[in-house]
Amino acid sequence: MAADVTSLRDWRFSIDDQGIAWAVFDREGESQNALGRRPLEELLVIVEHVEAAASDKAVRGLVFLSGKPGGFIVGADVREFEQFSSEAEVIAAIRPVLAMLDRIEALPVPVVAAIHGFCLGGGLELALACHWRIATRDDATRLGFPEVRLGIFPGFGGTWRSIRQAGPVAAMQAMLSGSMLRATAARAAGLVDELVPSQHNLAWAARKAIARGRRSKPAPLLKSMLRQFPIRPILVSRMRAETAKKARSDHYPAPYRLIDLFERTGGNLTTMKVEETPAFAPLMVSETSRNLRRVFRLSEALKAQAPKDLGFTVRRVHVIGAGVMGADIAGWCAAQGYEVSLQDLSGEAIDKGIAAQEKLFSRRFRTRALKAAAKARLIADPRGEMTSRADVVIEAVVERLDVKQALFRDLEAKLAPHAILATNTSSIMIEEIAPALADPGRLIGIHFFNPVAQMPLVEVIRGAGSREAEVRKGCAFVTAIDKFPLIVKSAPGFLVNRVLAPYMMRAMERVEAGEAPEKLDEAARAFGMPMGPIELADTVGLDICLNVGRILGYDAEGSRLAKLVASRKFGKKSGEGFYTWKDGKPVKAVRPYGSSELATLGKALVEPLIAEAERALADGIVETADLADAGIIFGTGFAPFRGGPLHYRAAQGGAAPRKASE
Amino acid sequence: MPTAIRRAAILGGVRIPFCRSNTLYADLSNLEMMTTVLEGLVDRFGLAGVHVDEVTGGAVVTHSKDWNLAREAVIGSRLATSTPGITMMQACGTSLQAALGIAAKIGTGEIESGIAIGSDTTSDAPIVVGKRLSGRLIAAQQAKTTGQRLAAFKGFSPGELVPQPPSVAEPRTGLSMGQHCELMAQHWRVSREAQDELALASHAKAAEAYRSGFMDDLIVPCAGVWRDNNLRPDMSLDRIASLKPAFERSEKGTLTAANSTPLTDGAAGVLIASEEWARARGLVPQAYLLHGQTSANDFVAGEGLLMAPTLAVSRLIDRAGLTLQDFDYYEIHEAFAAQVLATLAAWEDADYCRTRLGKAAPLGAIDRSRLNVMGSSLAYGHPFAATGARIVGLLSKLLATGGRRGLISVCTAGGMGVAAILESARA
Repeated sequence: MAADVTSLRDWRFSIDDQGIAWAVFDREGESQNALGRRPLEELLVIVEHVEAAASDKAVRGLVFLSGKPGGFIVGADVREFEQFSSEAEVIAAIRPVLAMLDRIEALPVPVVAAIHGFCLGGGLELALACHWRIATRDDATRLGFPEVRLGIFPGFGGTWRSIRQAGPVAAMQAMLSGSMLRATAARAAGLVDELVPSQHNLAWAARKAIARGRRSKPAPLLKSMLRQFPIRPILVSRMRAETAKKARSDHYPAPYRLIDLFERTGGNLTTMKVEETPAFAPLMVSETSRNLRRVFRLSEALKAQAPKDLGFTVRRVHVIGAGVMGADIAGWCAAQGYEVSLQDLSGEAIDKGIAAQEKLFSRRFRTRALKAAAKARLIADPRGEMTSRADVVIEAVVERLDVKQALFRDLEAKLAPHAILATNTSSIMIEEIAPALADPGRLIGIHFFNPVAQMPLVEVIRGAGSREAEVRKGCAFVTAIDKFPLIVKSAPGFLVNRVLAPYMMRAMERVEAGEAPEKLDEAARAFGMPMGPIELADTVGLDICLNVGRILGYDAEGSRLAKLVASRKFGKKSGEGFYTWKDGKPVKAVRPYGSSELATLGKALVEPLIAEAERALADGIVETADLADAGIIFGTGFAPFRGGPLHYRAAQGGAAPRKASE
Repeated sequence: MPTAIRRAAILGGVRIPFCRSNTLYADLSNLEMMTTVLEGLVDRFGLAGVHVDEVTGGAVVTHSKDWNLAREAVIGSRLATSTPGITMMQACGTSLQAALGIAAKIGTGEIESGIAIGSDTTSDAPIVVGKRLSGRLIAAQQAKTTGQRLAAFKGFSPGELVPQPPSVAEPRTGLSMGQHCELMAQHWRVSREAQDELALASHAKAAEAYRSGFMDDLIVPCAGVWRDNNLRPDMSLDRIASLKPAFERSEKGTLTAANSTPLTDGAAGVLIASEEWARARGLVPQAYLLHGQTSANDFVAGEGLLMAPTLAVSRLIDRAGLTLQDFDYYEIHEAFAAQVLATLAAWEDADYCRTRLGKAAPLGAIDRSRLNVMGSSLAYGHPFAATGARIVGLLSKLLATGGRRGLISVCTAGGMGVAAILESARA
């Protein structure tokens, strides 16, 4: 541990001519600042130094800044959370941090947090312990408490300090939703005291704040009264109702424990301060939080499949085929800021496909100008004139081998040498299309899921002959459009459809055997699936289910599924399938089911999915069990708090996940 | 004293897409647009942390808060903070004039490198309060007591609250630029048909410039915008022929919304340097900026407001020892189709050339196929101060691949014209 402020490794500390102490957080060897063990220990050295200097009148203020261009502090160091095995250990680790934050707050000189970029979780809690918070108006600046996404809530004094500054409504909303606020919104809420136009202004504004002895005032009386009887109970019941719409308390306890804490102690912040840690510690060591942290790491692992040093940048995307998938892929890429051209033999289809993106743009862009700019980025290109200038070309035309082969042969001649050449097909093998090319190694698959805007995973298909560099470029493209890539081997169903098919087919067989679809769906939801298998089948479209099943070798001859499709009952899109659909929702007969009955049934329902995931791993569809879990969580919504099907199997004491055999 | 005049090399230009005012850039300021252009130059030429000897340029329509616009843009960019920013303005000639100044300083050895830049927005135009109200506000601010403060508003009438929008009319004549240009069209008998055809050709050529990829390295996306939104690739003669005259509403009127430039937001910049500086940075000159000329006429006494480029070009080619026909490209800024056509007509007119240009013979006709070959302001739009740099960047790129010599002519408010000659850097 560093002994004095001159030998810090994660902070740069200096005192200037005016007696202002500058603590610049610049974590060694990392691109972002996270409050890990060493940064916290070194921060204590700084605090002790400033305490002494302030009492000698050698320091008249302290400013916290970040040395990273992209952000202030992204939070506590999630990687270090795994070391805790008991509540007592968590409490022992938190105590000194809480004491240090109290010492910062108690410093006799003004302490200013100067924020640009991300200021999240523990970073925001440090800022809240300062006396004055300045943030840049920059669009990159975001403040928030993402803790609930990891199955915990703020544990460095963030609960009571944020309520003190912002009042219970804004503070609890921020902590319960985990959403990130822009600087202007954070200021309106009371989490930030002053806004400046740019990063350049930060140090100067901090200097001025110290000269004037600025101190942030707690939320005004009116807001504070909301914490008291009789309003608090009303707020609490509303918070519970709002939270219940998003997460079940049995699967995701953290937000509910936070509401409990507020209900018990919100009237007296001193009590809340004392009670925060005992309420926090059990969450930190819970299975749910462990698994959610695992999901966070898995998402990082997915992104890591795209090397950062490829020298491949996406500017223009060309999509061929303006059906639902093609148009939605084009719309998504345009929404991400790229110039996108959409090609189809039918000009009408292009117009329809582009018009369909209106909804996405309206949802995504707040101002008229931004929305209009997105529309302008999506260009109708009936003759394929943009092909030669595209960095990525994705084919999503009719599933016919001869059509695709002819198309790719023609494309290959026009394409820029660096451009990605990809097909979105899921029913024709890359190995069948590639021989049509002069350079077959160039072709990869980029498989999107429907609906494109909602599904976070995109499978990047490595054909038998696909060049590794092209596969990695495909991953880079997928991360560039803000999706998670998953490299999979070219084989029917890839990973996601392959594991979903038996899960849905077996569930449909149960319906045929007389079980109620409502019961099956409820059981799957009780297990933690976002939607039950029968409702999912109806939503995806029964014709598509039948087709995917056929590709994967499921014999549906004479089944209820085949009969429904034969009578053109496709599910949600046709208004009837296993369910009757009204206003986009299935009509379900509500019957109470016993929770233990549902639990047993739920486990049985996901069993085929888990077994198939094991087989897929054994077949080398994905390289590791972790990547399989990651793909299945982000591709199917498989209960994130269970950490993925293979992890779940192992945790249940089942067969340990095997490595890929090849 | 400089020992010899050096050639100023144009290394390349970059601009953001131009947008009609109050559309896609409605939320942007001149500072943001100008900074985006500097960042585009930084990316294209590897200038992060690099000292440039000066960034010169400005905006025509500005807020008083933007008094140090060029320097503020430099500070907001990744250029070395040691780079000075000089804010200057000559209406629509701003960034071309800036380029000429930089080239001259490079010539004498005063500087090695410079960026000529211009930005304009009429979406974020300054709205100022009237003189009476501003007087009251200042008095109230200086007041020491509440009584004095109240006294400042004695006799206040609500009418004082009516803000004064910026005016684009000529202060001396009270006529808008379009009205002035309509007078020129009448004087030089420029037909509506000829104007419409020029506008149509401008759109068609600009659309082709995008389609072929020519524009790709000249454009940096800004606020999610990739293309000029004034450009109409599908424009037809029938459609623009049906438009009503915009300035002279009688049947005599010929200028319309299609053959005049709209109010436009945008910014453009161009990197200019000595050959030594370019070589040291591994950059290849596209063209040399060899001659420049600024002139003005007596429009108050009745000359055509936008006819001064005829004078500037005449003097320019005399000094360069060239004739009007010695060029492979003519970049005549299309403020209005009628301005371009009146200028060409004047150069062909023996009487005008004799009396106004002092020439025994007219300058003559130009090969129209060499005029604005990639389209011009009628298609791209015209953010006043940005247009000069847009043209220099575009012509420089043209000369990098073909042709030997190009002529630039830009008309400006106040009866002024700025002209320049570029020569290809290819051996």
